[in-house]
Amino acid sequence: MTARRSARAQEIALPLVVVALIIAGTILKGSVFFSTANLWNVLVQASVAGTIAVGMTFVIATGGIDLAVGSVMAAAAIVGGHYFASAGSAAFMLATVVAAVVLGAINGIAVAWLRIVPFVATLAMFAAARGIAHLISHQTPVALYGLDALTRIGSQRVLGIPIPAIVFLVVVALGWLVLDRTRYGRYVIAVGGNREAARIAGIRVRPIVFSVYAVVGLCTGIASVLQTGQLASASPVVGLGLELDAIAAVVIGGTSLAGGRCTMIGTFFGVITFALVFNLLTLENVESQIQQILRGVIILGAVVVQRRGH
Amino acid sequence: MTALLEVRGLVKVYPGVTALDGVDLDVAAGEVHCLVGQNGAGKSTLIKCVAGAATPTAGTIRLDGRDLTTGRPGTALSAGVATIYQELDLVGDLSVADNIFLGHERRIGPLLDRRRMRREAGELLRRLGHATLDPDAQVGELRPADKQIVSMARALSRDVRLLIMDEPSAILDPPEVDALFEVVRRLTAAGVGVVYISHRLDEIARIGDRITVLRDGKTVASNLPATTGIDPLIQLMIGRAFHELFPNRNILRGEVVLRVRGLARPPHLAATSFEVRAGEILGIGGLVGAGRSELLRAIAGLDPVTSGEVSVGGRALPRERPDLAVAAGIGVAPEERKSQGLWLDWSQVRNVTIADLPRLGRGPFTDPAAEHRAATAQLRALAVHPDDPLRAAGELSGGNQQKLVVARWLVHASSVLLLDEPTRGVDVGARAEVYRVIGELAGRGLAIVMVSSELAELVGFCDRILVMREGAVVGELAGETATEEQILRHALRTGAEPRTEPRTEARSETP
Repeated sequence: MTARRSARAQEIALPLVVVALIIAGTILKGSVFFSTANLWNVLVQASVAGTIAVGMTFVIATGGIDLAVGSVMAAAAIVGGHYFASAGSAAFMLATVVAAVVLGAINGIAVAWLRIVPFVATLAMFAAARGIAHLISHQTPVALYGLDALTRIGSQRVLGIPIPAIVFLVVVALGWLVLDRTRYGRYVIAVGGNREAARIAGIRVRPIVFSVYAVVGLCTGIASVLQTGQLASASPVVGLGLELDAIAAVVIGGTSLAGGRCTMIGTFFGVITFALVFNLLTLENVESQIQQILRGVIILGAVVVQRRGH
Repeated sequence: MTALLEVRGLVKVYPGVTALDGVDLDVAAGEVHCLVGQNGAGKSTLIKCVAGAATPTAGTIRLDGRDLTTGRPGTALSAGVATIYQELDLVGDLSVADNIFLGHERRIGPLLDRRRMRREAGELLRRLGHATLDPDAQVGELRPADKQIVSMARALSRDVRLLIMDEPSAILDPPEVDALFEVVRRLTAAGVGVVYISHRLDEIARIGDRITVLRDGKTVASNLPATTGIDPLIQLMIGRAFHELFPNRNILRGEVVLRVRGLARPPHLAATSFEVRAGEILGIGGLVGAGRSELLRAIAGLDPVTSGEVSVGGRALPRERPDLAVAAGIGVAPEERKSQGLWLDWSQVRNVTIADLPRLGRGPFTDPAAEHRAATAQLRALAVHPDDPLRAAGELSGGNQQKLVVARWLVHASSVLLLDEPTRGVDVGARAEVYRVIGELAGRGLAIVMVSSELAELVGFCDRILVMREGAVVGELAGETATEEQILRHALRTGAEPRTEPRTEARSETP
């Protein structure tokens, strides 16, 4: 019960942190910060890492980790951009998402059936997928200016809301629904909480473990489409350090790295907290190197707070 | 003989369980004192207290008149108490010499004096009559018997007055046991007192001087001569307190539900065959490590098997598919409830419905209301306490956690229950309740297989008993006529086995 309580505590505490950050930002920067334009901008900036964080929540719920998401995002975009961009936006998007799911599934096979520790399996993919991206692209970005539908995703709004923000919010909602309200989600948490008990209860553990890496692949593919839409190009060097952002948001949100305890709502607020902090720091002209150091400090602090709660 | 170790009125209470309830023990210098008792009688807790690994709730422990009741391993070690546990605590990657001096390395300033440690290790091994053991050998590559010698050399490397040995012969072959006894004699000749724990009662007369018998956390006989016969010892170990705990039940025997044919997983499990009928409670006895849990796990498809077949209701199960075993109606309540049976931070409801989410849900979605209804019905029927279905499983007592696992298989309408030590860690009072539940389930027509180390439980509660030893079924007894002595004889291989029972495979024609 205490463990559940701490995940719940984060679900309550983080929205308060978000409100506090918004108040602080408004006091410090006034309308430069507290404007619909800037607040939507915060969500757009959060959308790539945030979409991946949704999938990462599933992986971490099983007690796993995926270090390869940044590399996979780049490789998927390059595969889509290099081979399928000529066939139009839809073909590009589909190919990008499929490529990311395939690379995620390879991670899943390595972890579930070859029984390679998730850290090692995805570290290998971290290196290999980046290599694929560089190899196919000859180390140069693929321009995607011709793909109007794609670039519109990156630039346009529906009902005044930027499309990347909509996509992120929809992915979060679906992620919450699947994790909290479906049989599959319950099995994911069961496997993460007590693998042997899950096996004895008749749950097929390996397919579940496999699936979460495919799910994070799917989310990474969607994130890749959002990213290429905003940049109007597919670059082999995007997504550096993205795994850190995604994992940090999940952990700050209250999901336990040991598995079995997770909260999608926490992940959402973890993403927003991170995005607000760095939006504020940027508005305050804090150097990016110092932001990077703060990133580390925040992650460490969140883990300490999480452990206190237990 | 002068008393070296004096234990008086020792009590150790764990939350929910009284492990020791007034134990006395006297060990003289230069004697081998044998400590016997059933599993769970309190032997391990007693030696933990003496070794300082557990703090007694009440009572005194004195070594040479010095008080050791504080419960710190350092105090016991410096007073000269050394313990060799069942699970040898050696570091496999280090050498023999490194292991012997682990924690009190010989040093020159801050640096290790390897040459001196190697030389002294050689001397210690010579004293133990094992000069051929190389101090530089890596411990992980030694045979179990040699590892034991290294453990003893480690004990001797400190100034040992009292050596506690927990089932040292369990992993040894007969010639190795002879060598071990030779070492023990050398130690006692040097004035060391030895506490010797063994399930092999026939060893006692060979190596022991005096015997203390524990039962239910109490000393029931002390300072018996080692010449005491096996039969009186068994009588003392068993006691009679459990009888009134067992419910009266109407025994009904239906069709054969579970059929096991030639199921084998060498070296843990030799080809095993038996049948269980609807309404029958089959007990499986034997010592710890005799292959009983392995048998249950093999039936449930949790471990790989090399040959054999399991069928439920006449339908054969594919191997190594626990999910299909569950679907076919096999439910397992593992011995390690907390680590293998339950999600401790989940509510009672979630723990109980986990095997039935497809049935209790709508499409891909879960239906908490339906789960709550299904779970509450079974939780109430089993009288799980507290009556709060949303309470986390971790907050329940051992007996109620056991009921939780059973409730899961009732929700699932399983036809076969495999229970591994269902009353382990359950207080005596709460046991009656567990027996009542199991009895009722049998009455409803479930086939029940129950592994137990409690002889009284096997004899008093089970309809039929299989006894296992070294991975094989070595005896089958009818519940009405079985005696605890018979089970122990089969389990211990004490020679005087009754001729009326088949020695080898249990036959499946019965009943």
